[in-house]
Amino acid sequence: MQTFASRLTDALGPQVVHTEPADLAAYAFDAYSEDRLPSAAIVPRDAREIGIAVRIARECGEPIVPRGAGTGLCGGAVPTRGGLVISLARMNRLLELDVRNRRARVQSGLVNLDLSSAIAEHGIFYAPDPSSQKTSTIGGNVGTNAGGPHCLSYGTTTNHVLGVEYVDGNGDVARTSIDDPGYDLTGVLVGSEGTLGIVTEVTVRLLKLPEAVRVCVAAFRDVESASEAVSAIIGAGLVPTALEIMDALITHAVEAHYHSGYPENAGAVLLVEIAGTVEDVAAGEASLAAIARAHGALSWRAARDRAERDALWAARKGAAGAIGRIAPNYYIQDACVPRTRLPEIMHTIDGIARDHQLPVGNVFHAGDGNLHPLLIFDRRDKRQVQAVIDAGTEILIACIAMGGTISGEHGIGYEKREQLSLVFSRDDLAAMGNVREVFDPARAFNPDKIFPSGATCAEVKR
Amino acid sequence: MIAKPVRVRRVATGPFALGSLTPARVTEPADADQTAAALCAARNAGEALVAFGGGTLQRAANAPVRYDVALSTKRLNALHEYDPRDLTVGVGAGMTVADLSALLARNGQFLPLDAPHASQATIGGTLAAGWAGPRRTAYGRPRDLLIGAIVALADGTLAKTGGMVVKNVTGYDLGKLYVGSHGTLGVIVRANFKLLPAPAVRRLAIAPFDEDLRERAAMQAGALRIEPAALLMIDGFHEIAAPGRARIVAMLEGSEQNVERATRELRSAFGAAGIAETRLIDGDAATRTFASVLDAYATVAGDASVTFVARGLPVEAAGRAQRVRDALGRADTIADLRTGDVIVRAYDRFDAVRDVLGTATVLCAGSSTTVDAWGAPPPTIATMRALKTQFDPHAVLAPGRYVGGI
Repeated sequence: MQTFASRLTDALGPQVVHTEPADLAAYAFDAYSEDRLPSAAIVPRDAREIGIAVRIARECGEPIVPRGAGTGLCGGAVPTRGGLVISLARMNRLLELDVRNRRARVQSGLVNLDLSSAIAEHGIFYAPDPSSQKTSTIGGNVGTNAGGPHCLSYGTTTNHVLGVEYVDGNGDVARTSIDDPGYDLTGVLVGSEGTLGIVTEVTVRLLKLPEAVRVCVAAFRDVESASEAVSAIIGAGLVPTALEIMDALITHAVEAHYHSGYPENAGAVLLVEIAGTVEDVAAGEASLAAIARAHGALSWRAARDRAERDALWAARKGAAGAIGRIAPNYYIQDACVPRTRLPEIMHTIDGIARDHQLPVGNVFHAGDGNLHPLLIFDRRDKRQVQAVIDAGTEILIACIAMGGTISGEHGIGYEKREQLSLVFSRDDLAAMGNVREVFDPARAFNPDKIFPSGATCAEVKR
Repeated sequence: MIAKPVRVRRVATGPFALGSLTPARVTEPADADQTAAALCAARNAGEALVAFGGGTLQRAANAPVRYDVALSTKRLNALHEYDPRDLTVGVGAGMTVADLSALLARNGQFLPLDAPHASQATIGGTLAAGWAGPRRTAYGRPRDLLIGAIVALADGTLAKTGGMVVKNVTGYDLGKLYVGSHGTLGVIVRANFKLLPAPAVRRLAIAPFDEDLRERAAMQAGALRIEPAALLMIDGFHEIAAPGRARIVAMLEGSEQNVERATRELRSAFGAAGIAETRLIDGDAATRTFASVLDAYATVAGDASVTFVARGLPVEAAGRAQRVRDALGRADTIADLRTGDVIVRAYDRFDAVRDVLGTATVLCAGSSTTVDAWGAPPPTIATMRALKTQFDPHAVLAPGRYVGGI
């Protein structure tokens, strides 16, 4: 009898199928700490090839794990049970651009930033911009319902996906549209982390580039006071396009690498972006600066030009990488709280890190209440590793207690699946299990992700 | 779970009739637990149950094939959570859209659901009906503004999805599934939304035009630099907004400076198209007139009219509306130049609407009509049927009302 790997190779050819351990190593991990070699990996050219591979994997009883660029932080692309990894890397084309109706149809493997770069000349852009956008793919972004700093006014990936093409558990290709009558299958597939099928094509909504953009930086004494300013800004009914906070640790790391002009003597900096008409941007800056000053801003400065603006953003989006250059290891957490609770949660996180004797850096989407504490540790020290795990969980529990949740934009993946039951009851999870049961009754797609290991088939199916 | 007794109040069943069926009784649960208990009881008794909000979009789905119990969400109208500084709100599904809007307006905030007949329409009904109005390109659809929900399911359990935070990727986004499901998967008992600061200024611009200017008017309107929150080309619908002629209606919202600039731009664009007069309505009057336009989407004109909505591309909307008017002879249309929707109020030859526009669903229909609300199901219908069976294996909830007879 033929092996799984040889059946794949016979069907799709050696250009598409990898079966040698040396080649498979590249598909064993993502940006999370787990890794496991798959039995085979394919880099298909189209949905048809994915369908063929899915059928073979199903017949052989092998699990199927889709993979974008592997930038996910929660182990969503790790083949924890081996099996087949499907990389969408080769399916990276912009298939159709409709400038007048502001929509595009793209293959899942298209890199996020490549889309906006390709269409900028038409005065339009794709709004979701996760910090990973230089490498992460639209399909991967759809998997996690990725966010980014500009979610504050533009929303997350799900708000910009008009329809998808996906390969289902039988290897068949299906298309959805949010304008079809019937259940919103598009909305269900976005954020399902590859557990319902393999999304091969995405139709996205595009936005008109704003007439004017201004990026400002304010310095604060500490993270709590910067957070208070953000709560006050939202409370005053001002929703700029981005409100980002970095604490001193992050700012120093970023400046050491990027020299982008953030104030280095501050306890925290607030990055504000305002976009819209020329008139609204000017008026918006005045109101925002006034609130920031009233809440203890030590300085307020607007970037002079496009180059300076881009430099500030490049540094902000490169923050995690900059920390990687100065810390032996770091663990980035992702959680959300209602925006009025920001100062309180920042204080709590500080306390948790202190209790565990871990340095913590904070770089986060403050306007959305979306936190990213970075716990710095040395993985060679067992005490520190355990401390990071404990502190991470305590932070999540604190967020839930304040009415928040355990992931704002990175997803649940493998990392947080056990913690999902901190947020959802058995009945809540059973409703999600209903959807899983319909799309993937055999649990072939991305097993071990999202659902707690205790939520067995029987339990989820009731 | 064990069904708790629901306080029974004698409610007339007549207003809850759908098609030729009148339910045997009406239940009015006061909270989530009572709602779940009512579903559990219906399942155990082998009954069919239809959730009822304000009833304003009930004709947007077919009449059920069985109908024993109407579940009115009227008493599920609590304000559960609202701290204006969070820019989020959590309300009972039975709260009317108008009541929520008034509450938010007092705090300088708004939730642009664009529901027709807002003083009767409920939050839950608006979501369940999958309503998405003309300002959705500017502000998002109701599905995009929803951040969390609690839903009573057919097995008598209560399931939460999402939460009270504006960014959330914790588990499947089932809110999307319940929105637009017309009560066939569960009954929404609570909905949480992210809110927007209310625009400082609202201005409705109405520009009637002569037939020979139509193409130029549509082109100029579509090329405005400051895009109106809503931009409609209306033909017929002579109960609303400067009746008597074809007209473009634009809702301008934003800061005072922005709206002033948008007004100047709009006047000059319409002037260039040859339109003589652009009438402006400001403030509360603008809000009221715009509400009357929204009401027209879900208002029947006599027993024999049917209003359809067909989704499409913005640049094609005006042309599609023209084609359907040409084909039908007599029809009222709204071409939504921002969302691409074409709204058609037809008085006869209903089949021709779908012949011309392809997929079109019903928004409202006169009592003497029998048009299928959905038309041909999409290719994904098998998955939809499987979802229905999984969530509601005994077909307790609104049987036969949905796409493909679900």
